[in-house]
This record gives sequence, C-alpha cells and structure tokens, in this order.
Amino acid sequence: MPDAVAEKVIATLASVKRIPAENIKLDTNLQEMGIDSLDVFTLLFELENAFKISIPDDDVRSLKTVNDVVEGIKKLLAAAPPDASVGSTSPAS
Amino acid sequence: MGSRRVAITGLGIVSPLGLDLAKNWENLRAGRSAIGALQCVDGSRVGLKIQNAAQVRDFDPLKHFEGGKDAQLDRFAQFSVVSARAAMKDSGLELTSSLRENAAIVCGSAVGGQAAIEAGFEDLWVNGRGRVHPLTIPKTMANAGASHISMDLGLSGPVYTISTACSSANHAIGQAFRLVRDGQAEMAVTGGAEAFFTVGMLKAWEAMRVISPDTCRPFSKDRRGMILGEGGAMMILEPLDAAKARGARIYAEVCGLGMTSDAHHLTQPAVEGPARAMRSALREAQMAPEEVGYINAHGTGTLGNDPVESRAIREVFGAHADKVGVSSTKSMHGHALGAAGALEAIATILALYKGILPPTVNYLGRDPECDLDYIPNQSREARVGAAISNSFAFGGLNAVVAFRSPEA
Repeated sequence: MPDAVAEKVIATLASVKRIPAENIKLDTNLQEMGIDSLDVFTLLFELENAFKISIPDDDVRSLKTVNDVVEGIKKLLAAAPPDASVGSTSPAS
Repeated sequence: MGSRRVAITGLGIVSPLGLDLAKNWENLRAGRSAIGALQCVDGSRVGLKIQNAAQVRDFDPLKHFEGGKDAQLDRFAQFSVVSARAAMKDSGLELTSSLRENAAIVCGSAVGGQAAIEAGFEDLWVNGRGRVHPLTIPKTMANAGASHISMDLGLSGPVYTISTACSSANHAIGQAFRLVRDGQAEMAVTGGAEAFFTVGMLKAWEAMRVISPDTCRPFSKDRRGMILGEGGAMMILEPLDAAKARGARIYAEVCGLGMTSDAHHLTQPAVEGPARAMRSALREAQMAPEEVGYINAHGTGTLGNDPVESRAIREVFGAHADKVGVSSTKSMHGHALGAAGALEAIATILALYKGILPPTVNYLGRDPECDLDYIPNQSREARVGAAISNSFAFGGLNAVVAFRSPEA
C-alpha cells in the first residue's frame, strides 16, 4: 500500500499528466508514462511546493520509476526540515 | 530566383467570433459583435477601468492537448497550434517528407506568452514565493507559437516569428508569401496569435487612454476608442500551380506586401507611411488601384487612427476611393494586436471567396473627417476581384497585404 508520501507523489504526477491517479503504480516507469524532460521540470516544481523541500539538481538524474521519486523525497525529508522559502507567503524582500 | 503565384488553400481560426472558420464567417457575415463584458480577468484589486473586451469564449485546451501538454503552452501558443491544425486540415494537403522539410512557418505575435510571465511575477512579488514555474521561459517566448506548430505538424523548414506590434501578422503573412513565391519554401503556415488578457497588460493599455469605455465604432461619429481582442488565425500558402495540380480549393491568391515605417512618432498615426505601404503592396501585386473593391482597414476606432487612415486611402485611391468598400472588422472581433492582421486576412480572403463584404458594425453615423464607404452595420453582397488588408502598428510600422480572388 502506498504511504502518505507516495500518495502525494502519485497525486502530483496524475495532475501534471492529466491522468487518473489509479493508473500510476510505484513501479511505473516515468519515461513509459510519457514524462519528458519538460514534465520533469514541472513535476519537481510541484513536488517542491507540495513537500516544502528543495530538490538538488544532482538528485534528479537517476530517477527512473515513481518509487525512485518517493524514496528520494523521503531521504530529503529525513535529512532536513521543510524549506521555509518554498511556498512561503512572506515577501521575498 | 523564380517568381510563382501563391494560393491560399487552407484557413484556421480561433477568435472571439467563434472557435472555427464556419462560426467566424457566420458572425462576420451577420455583423454580430463579440465585444462584451470583460470576464476572464479580475482587475478589481487594482481598480481596472477596462470593462469590455472581445474574448475567446469556451476554448477548452484539454480538448486539443493530451497528457498535460496543455500546461506547456501559453494560451497564445494554444491558439497558434489549434488554428494551424485547422488550416492544415482545411487545405487537404498531404505532407510528404520532402514537403515537410520545405515548409515554412512565419507567425506574428506582439507580446508572446504574457500570461506565463505575469503569473511568474505574481508568484515572486505578490505571493512572496522564492521561485517561478520552470516553464515560464519556454511559455513566454514569442516564438513559442511557431515552434509548437512546427513540432505539432512536423514541419521543419524555416520557422520564425515577427513581432511588430499590431502589424505583426501582416508582416508575417507577407514574408511567408515571398518565401513561397521565390521558391524558398514549397508551402507555408502563416498568420498570428495573441492572448494578453492579464491584469498587468490591461492596466498598461488602460494607461494609454485609447480604450473605449463602451464598444468599438470604427470611423463612426461618437467613437470612443478601441476594444482589445485575442485569438489566433493561420493559413496555408502553396504555389498556385501546385494547388491547381492537386485540385485544391483555392480561397484567394496572396499577391503583394507593402512595408513602410513612418519615422515619425511612437504612437501618433501618420498619412504618408500607410499610404506608401498601400502603394507598395499594389505595386508588388501589379494591381491597379481601380481593381481593389474591398479594403479591410486597420480601423481601430480611436479618434486618431480613423481619419488619418481614411485620408491615406483617399490619397492612394483618388476618385476610386469612393467606390471601394472599406470596413473594420475590429468592430466585431476587437483588436488582437499581433493576431489582428491574421483575423482580418481571413475576413478579407472570405470576402473575396464568398462575394460578401463584412461590415463595420456599431456605426452610428458619419464623422466629417471619415468620408469613405465603411459598409455600415450590414454586410454587402459584392463580387470583387481584389482586396487589401491594412495593419499599422505603434512604432510607426505599416504592413499591407494584397489579395486577389481566384476568379480574377
């Protein structure tokens, strides 16, 4: 059963690709589901907002499946508290 | 360099007058205006005074783009692709690999993906976010429309966008015409697209004090300014001989482009530059002024443009000016900036093809300074052999395209 992080990742993917969340499993291959490089930018942006984290560029290159994304986010969440600058409503100045 | 005649064999349009060609023509012919209350933008927070506009209504990107692709295109690029697909289909042209490689795309857009960049600025400066959407750049770039058409239709010849404010689409159509005429392309997709209804853009237009508080009444007494519009319109050009050989429907021929600049003032209209552009288009088309039976005017409905354009027409056409039907279809579809010339080219081409001249609607009566036949309020049945379409831009850039009926 997908946990809360996985559910959020799947919901985000479903929203980016405009497909039902039920069609996405943890072992679904990102490329096979039609995620191209532009979709990846959008996906990371939405995931950063959803989890209030900052995903380093280097962490992105090895992502193959939905589970890779979920595990990567879990690692980032464990390593650091949510990034206050992401999705914050305080003025940038 | 060869010099070939150039046929228009496909038309596609998404405009405030309708989401397809048939609906657009039905409304142009009936003289129905799409100008109405501005609903797509909430400007109440900043006291937006612009109340009316010509909006493309009921356009659903999800009907045209699958798998989240819609989010990769700003609204103006969506209009570009949807109208190009429709024009391609309408042409019935079969795309071989050789034709794909020799196909040009020349599009006009004055401001590109304004909604995308403005959403980014709002995130930064209003919502206090430290980041903007990662597709802001590729959605904002003015060539996005042309690039997406290229990818969508698989056309890989010369592809570029012309940005000359309100003359963009006419410059584009004229350049595409010359590419096909001169043998530098075997076909072309050309036209323009614009979608700029954002709070920031509307406030900027408001500050110019040229927007009418009610509606657009070109050349009419009591006119109070222009009404902004949006949309996309594309056409397929191919050599006339090739079009005839495949038995294609030929709407009209593009036969001349006139380009001049006023070298005068950033926003104030002038007589001389537009007059020279009309003469230049006629010269390239080898068209006598007396051949022209219809002029789709720039006709913004501002106090400044309309008398100046009327004088320019009189200067070029002399006594014949009284025999030419002149209308501004902006009274129906609004002023769509970089797409204006494309929406108006389609009105002009259909006028030639159908033998019906679209009217200037919202016309209340004669302004002594505007003394031509503006086809007031009702379309007119008239078989005319040739027509020109005028676009004059801020910055003093003028572009006029000349068309001939296929029967002429």
